[in-house]
Amino acid sequence: MQSTRSLPRWRRVFQSNRLYLAVLMFLVVFPHLVGWITGDSPFGVGGRPRGQSVFWQSVFIEVFILAILTMSYNLIFGFTGVISFGHALFFGLGGYILGLVLQMTDLGPEIGLVIGGVIGVAICGLLGFLMGLVSLRLRGVYFAIFTLAIAEMFFIYIGRWPLTNAEDGFALNNIPELLNSTRNRLTYYYLALVLVVLTFLFIRRLINSPTGKVLLAIRENENRAQAIGYNTLTFKLVAITLAGMMAAGAGMLHVILNKKVGPETLGLTYTVDPLLMTIIGGVGTHAGPLIGTAGLHLSERVFNREFIIGSTTINIGQNWSLILGIVFIVVVLVFPQGVVGTWARWRQRRRAARAPTEGGDV
Amino acid sequence: MDETILEARNLRKQFGGLVAVDDVSLRVRRGSVHSIIGPNGAGKTTFFNLLTGTYKPTRGQVFFKGQEITQVPLYRRAHLGMGRSFQITNIFPNLTVLENARLAVQAMSRINFQFFRRAESFTRFTDRALEVLTLVGLADMADYPANVLPHGGKRKLELAILLAPDPDVLLLDEPTAGMASEQVPELLATINVVRQQGQKTIVLVEHNMNVVMNISDVITVMNLGKLLAEGSPAEISANQTVQSVYLGELYNPSEN
Repeated sequence: MQSTRSLPRWRRVFQSNRLYLAVLMFLVVFPHLVGWITGDSPFGVGGRPRGQSVFWQSVFIEVFILAILTMSYNLIFGFTGVISFGHALFFGLGGYILGLVLQMTDLGPEIGLVIGGVIGVAICGLLGFLMGLVSLRLRGVYFAIFTLAIAEMFFIYIGRWPLTNAEDGFALNNIPELLNSTRNRLTYYYLALVLVVLTFLFIRRLINSPTGKVLLAIRENENRAQAIGYNTLTFKLVAITLAGMMAAGAGMLHVILNKKVGPETLGLTYTVDPLLMTIIGGVGTHAGPLIGTAGLHLSERVFNREFIIGSTTINIGQNWSLILGIVFIVVVLVFPQGVVGTWARWRQRRRAARAPTEGGDV
Repeated sequence: MDETILEARNLRKQFGGLVAVDDVSLRVRRGSVHSIIGPNGAGKTTFFNLLTGTYKPTRGQVFFKGQEITQVPLYRRAHLGMGRSFQITNIFPNLTVLENARLAVQAMSRINFQFFRRAESFTRFTDRALEVLTLVGLADMADYPANVLPHGGKRKLELAILLAPDPDVLLLDEPTAGMASEQVPELLATINVVRQQGQKTIVLVEHNMNVVMNISDVITVMNLGKLLAEGSPAEISANQTVQSVYLGELYNPSEN
């Protein structure tokens, strides 16, 4: 390890992140790569959003949005050790607030987007803070149930709210032209990618900061963290407020992409999916949520349909939830640390076996 | 040096119909080692938890450095200079040994809400953590995750977490619990070093009679939630009531 320590700082940063940088480079060229291979331009075919490149862009935009949501969930679940079953509340509410500001005010698309975005993030942060304030004294399953109740309450109420067309939701067409996912999908792709990178960097910075270390301590042993002088409630509030704000941002990206705001964004799916994706990818790791989201969402897009082999038709789509459930059970039983955690352990063991005298180098 | 640093006044704790601690008063002198002993179920640990703030008393008051702290929450007491250890090993298992101690130092600082700097860049906290790890003999293990330590190592780490913020009063809940008997003298030596270095006050709840008789200045004996006797080790071993309740069964002076 001495050799890497003597390198200049930027080289060290580069070296330790080279895998991430490779993936990022791939994602940057990906739409063009698909376009080049299939011959379908990444800007669409015949002035319309058609073709393989555009299709895969939309799939990846969905991955990016879910990745932000999952990373925000991992901040409270994986790094702070607080299990919430109400995360969809922030995702859905963020989208609703932005949608309401864009469609029901005269601010215009650009100003509406900025104001709606700021208000939505602020309200979701505040809501997270207030929810935490009344409920974070509860631990474990009690807190989880409380958050579930609050989120379901919003889901039911907004699903019946006449102003937003109850369960039908409302269309979002007053959006800036640059973010129009029909005509400018590639721009939207890069915007979502940039936001994933920023969220990732922010959370990693936070976890390595003094504040983040306290969050880890709370996850590890909250009683002890209190005994050595941390007001753990404050730190948990910081985590849940930040996570709520990030989830709101993801929800906004979601409604702009789909040009529609509906109560399904408040439903349990958007709590359970990030939970599953975090666990499968690796709880409390930085890469875990990314790998879990990409793995689950891409495989759903690829396999969730009918396959025709000879004369037999296999409809995996019908059994998709079942397959997902089995995968999840296997992961929890066999690899409880998820993809990233298992891989890290395996590498650590291999390194220890190769150089038993350098045991301190973990 | 006869100043009282920690005082309990008529503490009572009731769990439903059970009175676990019944009207116990206690004065701990600054710089002394004060042990609380008693048979199982005497209310020692409940009393200890009343002093540390884990429980709020049903009645009575706790004073620390002349200030009433009865309602002061647990985490705040650490900032006043009270440090406590736990009977069951209570560390941060998946963090490194160094990080365990470093967090205890950081808790006393004003950097807890700095989001954008690496925790390691505050070197004085890391330095202090390493200093404490050296004192308890864990410096070699600094980079290992705490859960790989053997039981004795975890007890040492527990002590390091306790000492790291440099508290004035150490409240130790059965520090030798579950320890192999050959490790006990080492722990006692560390406690003695700590005591002499920093003029610390130590409050000890302990089962191990040899430990208590060796290092205590004052011993308080509890039985059935009540205060039974208080005095120097010599006075306590000579006390007939205490002997009949407790010492007779467990402590044999000829062993030393």
